[in-house]
Amino acid sequence: MRKRIAAACLAALAVLAMASCGAVNEDPGKNLIRQEEETERVVNFFSPMEKTDPDTENVARSASDLTVAMAEKRLGVSVAYRTYTAEDYQDRTYDEVALDRVRSNMDDMYLLNPDIILKLGAEGALMDLSGLACAENLREVVKTANVVDGKLVAIPQEVVAYGLFINKDMFDQYQLSLPETPEEFLECCRVFQENGIETPVGANRWWLETFVFAQAYADLYNGGNTQAEIDALNSGESKYSDYMRPGFTFLQELIDCGYIDAEKAAVSEAIEGEGADFLTQKTPIVMAYWGAANTETAYGNTDFEMQVIGFPSSRGQMPVVPMTGFAVGAGAEHAEDALLALDVMLSDEALQLYAETNRVISPSKNVEVECVPALKPLNDRIQEDVYVLGSNAGMKVEQWGNTCLIVRQLLEGATVEDCMAEFDRLQAESLQ
Amino acid sequence: MKEELNRIKRRQGIALFLTIILVFCMLGAVVASVFQKISREMSTAAIQNLSETLDLIKCTIEAILENEAEFQIMLAQEAARAEDMEAYILAFEKNQTMVKLSLIRSGETEGVSSTGERFTEEGLDFTSGRAVGGLPVSRSYVNYMGTWAYSMKCPVIQDGQEAAMLYAEYVYDSLDRSLPSGFYDKKAMLYIMDAASERFVLKPKGMGERSAGHLNLSDFYRANNIQEGSLREEVAACLAAGADFLFYHDIRGKTSLNYMWAVNGGTIYLVGYVPVEAIQQEGRTVNHNLFIVVTVMLVAFFLCCLLYWFSQRQQNRIRREQESERELHNKQLAEALQAAQIASNSKTTFLSNMSHDIRTPMNAVLGFTSLLAMDAENPVKVREYTKKIMASGQHLLSLINDVLDVSKIESGKVVLALEPFTLNDLVSSVDAIIQPMAKAKQQAFHIEVTGIRHEYLMGDETRINQILINLLSNAIKYTPEGGSIWFRIIGLKQRSSQYERIRIEVEDNGYGMTPAYLETIFDAFTRAENSTTNKVQGTGLGMAITKSIVELMGGTIEVSSEVDKGSLFRVELELRVPEGQVDKPFWEKSGIVRILAVDSDEEICNNLQTLTKAVGIQVDMAASMETAIQLIEGGREYQVALLDWDDMGADQAAKRLREALPGPIPILFLADYDMEGMDDALQLDNTGILTKPFFVSAFRGKLQEMWGEASAELPEGSSLEGLHLLAAEDNEINAEILAELLEIEGITCDIVENGQLALERFEASAEGEFDAILMDVQMPVMNGYDATRAIRALARSDAQSIPIIAMTANAFAEDEKAALDAGMNAHVAKPLHIEQLKKAIQQYRNRKE
Repeated sequence: MRKRIAAACLAALAVLAMASCGAVNEDPGKNLIRQEEETERVVNFFSPMEKTDPDTENVARSASDLTVAMAEKRLGVSVAYRTYTAEDYQDRTYDEVALDRVRSNMDDMYLLNPDIILKLGAEGALMDLSGLACAENLREVVKTANVVDGKLVAIPQEVVAYGLFINKDMFDQYQLSLPETPEEFLECCRVFQENGIETPVGANRWWLETFVFAQAYADLYNGGNTQAEIDALNSGESKYSDYMRPGFTFLQELIDCGYIDAEKAAVSEAIEGEGADFLTQKTPIVMAYWGAANTETAYGNTDFEMQVIGFPSSRGQMPVVPMTGFAVGAGAEHAEDALLALDVMLSDEALQLYAETNRVISPSKNVEVECVPALKPLNDRIQEDVYVLGSNAGMKVEQWGNTCLIVRQLLEGATVEDCMAEFDRLQAESLQ
Repeated sequence: MKEELNRIKRRQGIALFLTIILVFCMLGAVVASVFQKISREMSTAAIQNLSETLDLIKCTIEAILENEAEFQIMLAQEAARAEDMEAYILAFEKNQTMVKLSLIRSGETEGVSSTGERFTEEGLDFTSGRAVGGLPVSRSYVNYMGTWAYSMKCPVIQDGQEAAMLYAEYVYDSLDRSLPSGFYDKKAMLYIMDAASERFVLKPKGMGERSAGHLNLSDFYRANNIQEGSLREEVAACLAAGADFLFYHDIRGKTSLNYMWAVNGGTIYLVGYVPVEAIQQEGRTVNHNLFIVVTVMLVAFFLCCLLYWFSQRQQNRIRREQESERELHNKQLAEALQAAQIASNSKTTFLSNMSHDIRTPMNAVLGFTSLLAMDAENPVKVREYTKKIMASGQHLLSLINDVLDVSKIESGKVVLALEPFTLNDLVSSVDAIIQPMAKAKQQAFHIEVTGIRHEYLMGDETRINQILINLLSNAIKYTPEGGSIWFRIIGLKQRSSQYERIRIEVEDNGYGMTPAYLETIFDAFTRAENSTTNKVQGTGLGMAITKSIVELMGGTIEVSSEVDKGSLFRVELELRVPEGQVDKPFWEKSGIVRILAVDSDEEICNNLQTLTKAVGIQVDMAASMETAIQLIEGGREYQVALLDWDDMGADQAAKRLREALPGPIPILFLADYDMEGMDDALQLDNTGILTKPFFVSAFRGKLQEMWGEASAELPEGSSLEGLHLLAAEDNEINAEILAELLEIEGITCDIVENGQLALERFEASAEGEFDAILMDVQMPVMNGYDATRAIRALARSDAQSIPIIAMTANAFAEDEKAALDAGMNAHVAKPLHIEQLKKAIQQYRNRKE
């Protein structure tokens, strides 16, 4: 019996061996190249690229990628990333390049900052997205911020809220309470400076404008008379400079007192310039966007207790909410696929995934997620509907980009009055 | 020795194991070196492969740049020929490659651009000194379209003079269309870097892992963790020299080939990496398959080893079994040989013994015959000599009988003659033979019978007798003078009411036997002592015969013995109880229903009760005379009284009993053989002796004797005188002896030489002339059987009735049967015993009458 089994096994092995030997038998007359049909549907997507640390994943990017992958899977399209990042302050900014690219119809889909959205929207270079199914789920505030000339020109994946990132341990060390008003903030800075912290506020060339917005529009957005005040600004009855002055004066004082290193700030990129000092606890205060509290490449993993609060204003801590967003170029080569992809990327399902991954405030009224503990003070204010918008398509003078540029002038040595004159000029231009 | 062998085996095993390990190490080393060689070659091939691919891309890009330069020179020539160069420029429409055309007239700093804007050289850096097709190339920059671009400038020559400078702006995106959409299965990463600024001017659009898009070379280093200073310096040196650079570095945990490939003399660089596994896919497959092959071969080898081991183990097992079987066979052969030798020796010894044993009586016969011849005149001596001759002859006959018995038993020819017999007769006859022998040696011979329920049994009495005589005569023979011999018959528990199980024990306190002899005691031709050296005579066949007979009867025999202490033989037989009670009519007729037994021995009393119960007699036991008297006086009526006769006061007891009992009631004394001193007691009325052990049949016989009933036995020595017989005997001497013996008895006899003659003689005789025919069996011409058949077949009235008696040396039962079957009436064995012959003739003569 055993012998029979052994013989059977040997026979099977022999057959296998012979079969494997005979398997390599190509037909000599056959075309060996498989003809691939060029049927790939591509959507070119222009977006900024953050510089990366070695071998680490970028969370914000990954969250967005997840929604892109969802669109690719649903639609069978391929989303090709095209990126640009300014190497230094001398380089052309992402916004400038984005502006050129949209105007030159270089790509299909863009991730744009609010000022660029406004500018391109006004030029008619962006498609109206109000017809997308996802647009119906948007919060009102999001729609307000992105409607230009009656067209919804951009939709964000998150409501980006800016706030002050506070080293709570250091505040506790000097027995300081978290500042509510500009005066309290200055007092805190004084105490820190007196205790050997020369520049208590870490800053870069992009985000100092948030201090200005908080003080300028705290009453406008939270006083109950918003639309009338905006109308007054648009008609020239009110002056932007009157709103902006306290904030600029405040910044000037910070600079004058040395609470901010203006020279360094003027050439520093976001987080790159001030991040290291904040993480090593040399600086107790920086400003950044919501997602930085979740992102390990930013402030997602600190050795101290961090809290994110609103900027000081007459109405207390004030979050500043600008609206970045996805837009589709009016002359996009693959406009149809781009719109379809965007509809998937901004659907409730995709936004839920995005919000859960990044723990951010979703633009969809149907998506709610819990934030990390550090963000709780900021989130509480937003939930109370206490915030100012960093950009508003309803204002004829673009806010986010212009203010940023004027703050840079301040950093470079211009006076507050020079800056106010610039606002007046912009307002005058808008009225023409 | 075994340990030494084991040690050697273990050492050999270890050596074999080490050798295998060594072979495997060598095999492993060879395989490892092959793997390494393959890996090295694969690495070389990978570098070669990548270099070729990059060279191809490089050549493609360079060809594009050359074409662009040539096209620009052509445009410059056209512009030179144009009437209005500015108009020519403004008329240019951008295409995918050349997106802007500008012109600055010589000596001016501002010119026009195809976009309609004023154009200056500001922002264009031609300081690198690099050129394509002789045209200077600017550093890369982000152009008005928001994409990376470079410009080349070309002089516009009019009339041999440089009239203006033509600037053309090209975008890197156009190169993208000429590059492979993804090489090495889209696992390779390819950037185009502006060498002067180290900026990445063309990036992959669909990022493989979508996690890192690199800004410039330092960002590339940082993102891919290329931090080694020396490496970066080396790369920088290569970039400065416009040379290619290729190096291994892990990218995101995978070993990758990183490259910096100079294009257009180092103006731009192809930068990126390819995971080695993507290049070495085939090599990896080969290695993988090689590994599988090696693994399969190893597994196959181990399987073979396993199979070999199993096979060896099985073979070893079979070999061991065969060896043990062979050993067993050898042992059996040796034993058989030994047994054969022993048998041979036994037979030699036996023959030697026989020779001696036969010669001894023969010597006596011949010697005394010689003496008889000399002293024929002296009647006293004649009688003495003939007596001794007779004794020697008898001994010789018994020897011959034994030898014949053995040969018969061995050839399976013994047939048992089952007939009813009584234990009483058996014991009596044995007692009659053994008792005198024991007495002669002053030995005490005790007979005990206990627990017997039936004394009438079916069996071959002669053979049982033979067993008992054998055992008892041996006991006497091997017990010194003054010793004791016990003969016991014990009734065992019945398995069936049809059968009586008895155990016969013969015990003595004689010489005993050695354990070695006990093993062979039942074998034929063995004897405790050699007859030539011992005075004890015998054939040495007795025990073998005994055992064979016992086994033939379905019984068992066993023996235990100790030297100088004695021996005990134990025979167990199961004998059938005959149907119907022979004695019952007698006892019913006798009117005996109750007897009195006076005996102090409880065992005898129990035995008595057991035996008498079967015939319906009740026994009252009295342990003493007083009890007996009380019983008698108590009014019990007894028909017989039994009194155990012992020396102490038996005489008085008998008298008291006689007085107590009415006169006609018989009193029997239970006494041992040859008990003396009973004469006075026997003088009393109605008394008699009943020899122990008690048997009902003996009891009956005694009563009959006392009551004066006639014996049925034939009176001894009744005369056959006047008879006339016909005898057929071929041997003259035998014929003469027969004639003489018959003549002594007064019988006349006609003797013929064979069956034919006997037949003829009988045929010729007158009816009634012969009273009987004595017929030998083995005769010439016609044997006895045929002659008998022929006589019986004769048509005359006495042919059927005349007694024909076989008279032959064929003394076996089957011979007797054959004789009877042939029509003979009786069988008398030779040598002729005149009493037997007389008995046979008398029996048939009476019947005839």
